[in-house]
Amino acid sequence: MIARLRADARLLPFLAAIVVVFGLFAAKSATLAQAGTYAAIYAIAAIGLSLLLGNVRQISIGQAGFFGIGAYAVAYCTAVAGWPFWPAAALGVALAAVVGLALGFVALRFTGHYLAMATLAFGLIAVGIFHEAQPLGGAVGISNVPYAQLGGLTLSGYPAYWFAWGVALLAALLTLNLLRGRTGRAFETIRNDELAAEMVGVQTRRYKIVAFAYAGALAGLAGAIYAAYLGIVVPDAVGVPLSIDFLLMVVLGGSGGVSGALIGAALIGFLDIAGHQFENWREVAYGVLVVGVVIGAPGGLVSLLRRAPKSPPRDARLSALAVSRDRRIEAPGDGPPLDVRGVTKRFGGLLALDDVSFVLERGRLTSLIGPNGAGKTTLFNAICGVGRLTGGVVWIGGRQATGWPSHRIAALGVGRTFQNARLFGEMTVLENVTAGTFRTERGSFAADLLGLPATRRAERAALERARATLAELGLEPIAHTYAKDLPFGDRRRVELARAVAAEPWLLLVDEPAAGLNGHERGTLHEDLLRLRDAGTTLLLIEHDMRLVMTLSDRVMVLKFGRMIADGTPAVVRSNPEVIAAYLGTGS
Amino acid sequence: MMQLIVAGLTVGSGYALVALGIHIILRATRIVNFAQGEFTVVGGLFALTFVQVLHVSTWFALIGASVCGFVLGLVFERLILRPAGRSGETGLTIATIGTVFILLYGHALIPGWGSLPQPLPAFTGDASDVFTLGGVTIGVQSLWVFALLLVALAAMYVFAERTYYGKAIRAAANNPLGARLIGIDVASTRAVSVGIAIALAAYGGTILGPITLVGGAAGVAISIKGFVGAIVGGLESPIGCVAGGLIVGVVEKLLEGRLSYGVADPIVYSLLLLALLFFPQGLFGRRAAVRD
Repeated sequence: MIARLRADARLLPFLAAIVVVFGLFAAKSATLAQAGTYAAIYAIAAIGLSLLLGNVRQISIGQAGFFGIGAYAVAYCTAVAGWPFWPAAALGVALAAVVGLALGFVALRFTGHYLAMATLAFGLIAVGIFHEAQPLGGAVGISNVPYAQLGGLTLSGYPAYWFAWGVALLAALLTLNLLRGRTGRAFETIRNDELAAEMVGVQTRRYKIVAFAYAGALAGLAGAIYAAYLGIVVPDAVGVPLSIDFLLMVVLGGSGGVSGALIGAALIGFLDIAGHQFENWREVAYGVLVVGVVIGAPGGLVSLLRRAPKSPPRDARLSALAVSRDRRIEAPGDGPPLDVRGVTKRFGGLLALDDVSFVLERGRLTSLIGPNGAGKTTLFNAICGVGRLTGGVVWIGGRQATGWPSHRIAALGVGRTFQNARLFGEMTVLENVTAGTFRTERGSFAADLLGLPATRRAERAALERARATLAELGLEPIAHTYAKDLPFGDRRRVELARAVAAEPWLLLVDEPAAGLNGHERGTLHEDLLRLRDAGTTLLLIEHDMRLVMTLSDRVMVLKFGRMIADGTPAVVRSNPEVIAAYLGTGS
Repeated sequence: MMQLIVAGLTVGSGYALVALGIHIILRATRIVNFAQGEFTVVGGLFALTFVQVLHVSTWFALIGASVCGFVLGLVFERLILRPAGRSGETGLTIATIGTVFILLYGHALIPGWGSLPQPLPAFTGDASDVFTLGGVTIGVQSLWVFALLLVALAAMYVFAERTYYGKAIRAAANNPLGARLIGIDVASTRAVSVGIAIALAAYGGTILGPITLVGGAAGVAISIKGFVGAIVGGLESPIGCVAGGLIVGVVEKLLEGRLSYGVADPIVYSLLLLALLFFPQGLFGRRAAVRD
């Protein structure tokens, strides 16, 4: 579990207690109860946005659009069509989730400020439609929306406070479940490094869409409760300013988890009512506050409540585990693990790979060498489904895998490390390696959301496996260090551990020895041999000739995108063309 | 029809200057400034103060507002953008949104600025002066808007292409590290870029002041339409931003004239989404060969 979420889980009971105490005080004051109810409604939407912004790093300035969908669904179905509240609310949430899926799909094309603008456009279009749609009452909206009923109780006034907070806390609990499970880990890897996430088998596109749909559904739920509580929905109430309010709440409170969203929503919900006579000043204060938080406490107010431990506490469950493993990992089927045929890759006018073909034999360690710019890493990318090939086909484990997305190739059982060690920086070493097991874990969104026992068991199994991998590679002492705090040599080893944790039968290793000292190179040497002996087929890019010549069963040489030599180390070493490529011909 | 196009080009001039300002800040700092439209409003109010308090003509107010805009831009860069830079792209986006709040609600607190829009005096004659050209009635103020837009664009072009400092700014925007290595003070070129962008916003708010009034809550809409223009034309292309801004103005006026006031905005925003999806580099942007 991510350290941030552990703090979150601890804060939640305190926040629930505050809600109860405040609720008891609010029994006497209609104003307080009203402020508290609004805070709860905002909180539901803010929790969704917090997940989107803080856990998946996708900004949205269009959440009010989803809020509006939920609100209008309830208003129309109850006030116009005469439905009861609950089916109307369910319809609103479902509609918001579906539109969220669609927006998530669109959002895949954008990052950063382009995404901010695309979501802003969505919010503007939604409010424009509410304005123009005559069945929805145009500019005057829909009024006389009946209160929600629950078991004979009318959810208005004071009871509404408890109802809204009940829903908000339930949403918080479910969201926390989700974030603590496999889904949450997938989000976390996306937030840290999308390419590396794909390489451990995370379907980044799918998870981003899921996050948008989930955030949309929660905003829709908030809107549904809002419509029944207030009794009227107008387009201007669900416009861009509300979207920005949601963003303010999440940024003020702190994104990525539920407590920040609850705190931010409570703060804004309360100030909205309490600061009524200070109009303009109040909004200016919001602006100053938000700029101040971005500058002074980027983690939000909640980050001031918890001190981020430099090295997070050990997870007690993990202390007594078997560390030795006997394993044998082989490529499935009879075919070769990797069969590259005529692969060509062109970047504009540059021919980076020119008709490259080779077949790897199972259980062998093959090295790929060549001068800088020869196309070695490009070849790795071609095998792993990064970018589109100009020509040629790639067979992996007997499957025609050309054009597959990276996560699907990873899921076959292919591991990869990067030249510059792409770790998930804001996750600990143990969390990084646990993420490595992603493709071998099973799990579903619903099971994660409900925190079913099966999910918890699977989580524990994943942790145990990661732990065993760390033990095997001697990395236990740094298990709870954040990856971004590691020295370079350790980063490389952790990346290797992450790739190995999923027990790949084909492992592509990109310049593992670069930047390592002599001792570290020795360890690396042993690690690679051990992997090969366990049955893994290895393809290694390396510049350290001593390492290459002593380790390799076979060496391939790439120059300007063409394979110029291929054979045993001894044969390649004496190849005149290779010598020319490395030492120059003098002409 | 022509009537609507002229009206569109007039408001589009304002969007064009906002889009150009967004482009300049983006180039220099990699920040998309969501508050650009608010600076347009505040700039127009600066001009109003010059006219009302110092009793100068709108011409002098234009110069004064631009200078004030430049200084305000330096302050904005130093107090908000630079410190927020450590919080990443999302943090910066949010910081500029916070700035929207400060300016939008803050200007209403200043005596004399209020929250109701007020007109600036016309540049020449009366604000309602018109002349007819081939059956099309054109406001004299619209002509001044076009002329002053051209003046600003010409000045920007000369500054960026012909002056040493303009070249330094472009170098720093292209490659901050390289620029630093050859002795360009990147921090100050960034600050000046933001200053220029905000000065342009103030300039735009003032030249349109006699027609569209200054003050009020129009800033958010101006920002958004400036973006739409920048995206349609291409965020990375200055000419594209100006053209995009003008196009948005014309499309908006045509839709308002032909359909109804209410449907114009959703259609313009749908255009934004479509442009983002299908022409992310804009009409005038170049698609770079991407090496992945």
